[in-house]
Amino acid sequence: MTLAEYFSFLPYGKYAFYIWFSYLTTFVVIAVLFIRTKSIHKNIIKQLRLKYSRN
Amino acid sequence: MWKWIQAFASPKIFYSISAKIIPWLLYPFIIITLVGLYWGLIIAPADYQQGESYRIMYVHVPAAWMSMFIYVVMAISGGIGLIWQIKLANIVAKVSAPIGASFTLLALITGAVWGKPMWGTWWVWDARLTSELILLFLYLAYISLNNAFDNPKTAAKASSILAIVGLVNIPIIHYSVTWWNTLHQGASVSSIEKITQPAIHSDMLMPLLLMGIAFKLLYGTLMLMRARDEVLIQEQNSGWVKKIIIMEEGR
Repeated sequence: MTLAEYFSFLPYGKYAFYIWFSYLTTFVVIAVLFIRTKSIHKNIIKQLRLKYSRN
Repeated sequence: MWKWIQAFASPKIFYSISAKIIPWLLYPFIIITLVGLYWGLIIAPADYQQGESYRIMYVHVPAAWMSMFIYVVMAISGGIGLIWQIKLANIVAKVSAPIGASFTLLALITGAVWGKPMWGTWWVWDARLTSELILLFLYLAYISLNNAFDNPKTAAKASSILAIVGLVNIPIIHYSVTWWNTLHQGASVSSIEKITQPAIHSDMLMPLLLMGIAFKLLYGTLMLMRARDEVLIQEQNSGWVKKIIIMEEGR
């Protein structure tokens, strides 16, 4: 059984694996972009706070 | 107009104005994405040749559009930074690079996933795919070059020149399907004329355009969020940044 056949119970039949994989990848990329942006912001605030508290 | 640009290019004014703009980009992005996905995945009919598999188009095509659009923004901003020495332009170019690289990677992955059921292979060295891969390498080279220097001015100068030189790849990507005999299909939406007289049904076209708008809003949101952080780093010795950090601490 191929991967595409295994996922054929989902909407879009034999193309389900390809379609849902594409959308999942897109969701993951967007989520990573947002999470990374937030973590960069947190780190910068932390770094600057530390710098100003030293001075 | 020039005065307005100069005012907005001031890091302090940009920081406060961008905070007000971000929600106006983020919430429409969420709403338009949901509408676009519902239309593209549920309402739009199956294609008579490709069946259901064409639905990958609603993430693949906007991602590919964004990969080129962001590169052009990056090169123009880099050029403005080089010529007029506007700090903010260099910041926009710098923070756009990782976002553009992500969209390029996404376009390549979703393209490969679409290629497998349609062409019988994940990858072929055809003009469109190869030039898009070169675009990813250009983004990675830009990011590496920008991080290679300690001085932000030198980093911006070197990486901006690379971005401008790499601009030559954009028309190659766009016209590759016309100039060469490629496995990749031709453009269905590439000009105003094709939007008014599209090669695809309006029920298929509308979600594509919506997703295109949504991805642009997403880029705007992420770019502004990251640019604000970069402004804080580059202006860390200014009094107004210190004030902001103290205020953030109080929250």
